[in-house]
Amino acid sequence: MNTQDLITSGIPESYLLGLASPEEQELVQQKMLDNPELAAYMANLENHVLSYFDANAVSPPQDVREIVHLRSRKGNSQKRKHVFNRIPKQENYSKGPYLEVEVSDTYIKVHKYWRPAFITVFILSKIFLIAGLYFYFKSSSQEQELFRLKSQIQQIK
Amino acid sequence: MNELEQINRNTDQSFLNSPAGKLTSLEMYDKYGAMAYGIILQILPQPHLAQEVLVSVFSSPLLQSCNSYPFTFAVCIIKLARAKAVEAKRKLAAVSSPPLDIRSDAAENSPQQIFDLAFRQGFSPEEVAEKLNISKPEVLRSLHAFFKSNRDA
Repeated sequence: MNTQDLITSGIPESYLLGLASPEEQELVQQKMLDNPELAAYMANLENHVLSYFDANAVSPPQDVREIVHLRSRKGNSQKRKHVFNRIPKQENYSKGPYLEVEVSDTYIKVHKYWRPAFITVFILSKIFLIAGLYFYFKSSSQEQELFRLKSQIQQIK
Repeated sequence: MNELEQINRNTDQSFLNSPAGKLTSLEMYDKYGAMAYGIILQILPQPHLAQEVLVSVFSSPLLQSCNSYPFTFAVCIIKLARAKAVEAKRKLAAVSSPPLDIRSDAAENSPQQIFDLAFRQGFSPEEVAEKLNISKPEVLRSLHAFFKSNRDA
């Protein structure tokens, strides 16, 4: 296919509009590299396509810009999660056995043994709470029983 | 995988941090937001849906690919806006009503109508050719004729 045939075939237009098949995309890209005429046509066509769509442009509401701004900021912050800047190895050995890392997020990391330790403390606190309540109610009932017995003794006397 | 996704695979993921020469999504929005909104409204006439699609275009990770696109940002955004709007239109059509039958006689196969089917309705050139009972090269030539007639007008 010569350059003129390619230009009139409509493949460049379909390429710019995103309608071209992978083979057609490959063909246009390949031809553009070694064909200045086609490259110039594509540049001209691109300007024309842009002016066509610019003529139909509609200004969106201002709120949409705010939402785009928020979404893009959110996307950026998610990408920055858990970024560690490790100091080169040689410096680490001279300063001691620990790796110095600079953490640029709001999370902390703890040793894995903290999990069973936390669970153990949690269970023990529940046991002590239940035991405390049990002995509290037991002692109060014993006090009542003692008071009742004292009053009975006094009545007998 | 579409063209934008192919380019996106080879693109540095951290462009949103705005190194020199690359546009952030907000800068792209300021520059091409109105054009993209116009394109989306042509495909999806409902303003509230069009605005949702517009936000999804400019917060899409595929927008990264526009920084390494062989043409201008604008062409890349045209493709992305169309792709997102057509996707939303198809989802909407799937839940609301069956797709329209657009079979018509050869006299109505004008470049304008073919451009409308291919770009605004979201049909591939093969689908347009099948629906209008013409060949795919004729569909592509009609796209050429459409822009040529616009340029000459």
